[in-house]
Amino acid sequence: MESKPSTTPSSFIDQQVFPGDVVLDLSKMANQTIKLGGGLRQDGDVISVMKAGKLRFSKPNKYWVESSNKRYVPSAGDNVLGIVVDAKADNFLVDIKGPTLAFLPVLAFEGGTRRNIPKFEMGTLLYVRVVKANTGMNPELSCMDASGKAAEYGPLKEGFMFESSTGLSRTLLSSPTCPVLETLGKKLAFEIAVGLNGRVWVNAASPSIVVLVANTIMKTESLSPVQQKIKVESLMQRMR
Amino acid sequence: MDLEREGGRGANQLRPIDCSRNVLSRAHGSASCSHGETRVLAAVYGPKAGTKKNENPEKACIEVIWKPKSGQIGKPEKEFQMILKRTLQNICLLNVHPNTTTSIIVQVVHDDGSLLPCAIHAACAALIDAGIPLKYLAVSISCCLTESGKILLDPNKLEEQKMKAFVCLAFPSSVHSVLTEGSINGIITSLTHGVMAGYTFLTLILDEYFQCVEQGRAAITPLSNILKKKLQSQSAE
Repeated sequence: MESKPSTTPSSFIDQQVFPGDVVLDLSKMANQTIKLGGGLRQDGDVISVMKAGKLRFSKPNKYWVESSNKRYVPSAGDNVLGIVVDAKADNFLVDIKGPTLAFLPVLAFEGGTRRNIPKFEMGTLLYVRVVKANTGMNPELSCMDASGKAAEYGPLKEGFMFESSTGLSRTLLSSPTCPVLETLGKKLAFEIAVGLNGRVWVNAASPSIVVLVANTIMKTESLSPVQQKIKVESLMQRMR
Repeated sequence: MDLEREGGRGANQLRPIDCSRNVLSRAHGSASCSHGETRVLAAVYGPKAGTKKNENPEKACIEVIWKPKSGQIGKPEKEFQMILKRTLQNICLLNVHPNTTTSIIVQVVHDDGSLLPCAIHAACAALIDAGIPLKYLAVSISCCLTESGKILLDPNKLEEQKMKAFVCLAFPSSVHSVLTEGSINGIITSLTHGVMAGYTFLTLILDEYFQCVEQGRAAITPLSNILKKKLQSQSAE
């Protein structure tokens, strides 16, 4: 094969990488600790890419591949929207669009005891936090935050849930507020819950507002921030 | 003996390749790939919980369903399923999501020769679109041997029917690397059909087969670059 000059790892950062690309050579970086996020794996002395996407780096030492998919890879600390599939003695089985179902312990609610176990029917939409997500095990969820308070977790009543890609969820949750939500929020009153697993829930006083918000979010996924603002304004004009 | 190919193609020239991702809205990953007139559509669903009965639960399981353009599923389809399954099992990382099943459904839209390479490219692109962890991508090429011993790459249907032998090869794709040396070598899949000559003077050397392999290897880098370029231009940012 043609020989390439030795390219430094920094030349791959913020570039599109494909599975098989070797991005780091550990033998040249002795005495450094490197943290690997999603999409990268260690293969002997090199770090190679598992998923296609953009390689990102954050100081001091974290590398990961950012990609937008329809399925979700569970990781601890994420806030997701799950749908109850089954109720067992100790856990609720919840679907979070991952490779396996997740378990929500029956006592993982604020002030939860054996006497006041919530009754969730099949199909209930929940806003939950992922506590543990290890390979080979079913992820564990909780309806409490780290300090044991309910925060905003729990079942979401009424409203409308739609699916999106994981990339769109991350954009909606980015700070500063993403332009779509900001422009919509100036004129309309609505409630929104975004799960990092590609599910979004919207609720408002009237169904037309819910439909407008949902359609706007779905249509502006592939537009740049400026285009998003313009598109949102034009869609809202049509409402009046 | 210059063999005139349809459309004035050279012996080593491939047909135009086109590849697009995310063509199906309900599939978790999907891609459509075309080599000239041959078109194949692939959809990926998964990973989903649970494996089949005889499969190892410590690894992910890959299931391939091949759907022909018309007619019922018979022996040739089952053969394609098995070949594609073995090829994809080689490129997928099976221990990232143990005890799950990933289903890949391949639909032949039009067959104008070189069907298996087109299907392998479509399946690979669909796996990338779905975010399934892979070791590397696969590029695949088919070549055929004429009566006069000439090797033609990427034959169309007419050329395939007239040839005396046919080889289909799948290789790991070329990668961008920070390492100066060491590229992935080897053949993932090799499928042969027909009669190939070799020297039979004390030792049997499969001359023509190895020539096909060499020509195929020479085409890996350009093919990889074309595929990556097509897949890159569609990732929505």
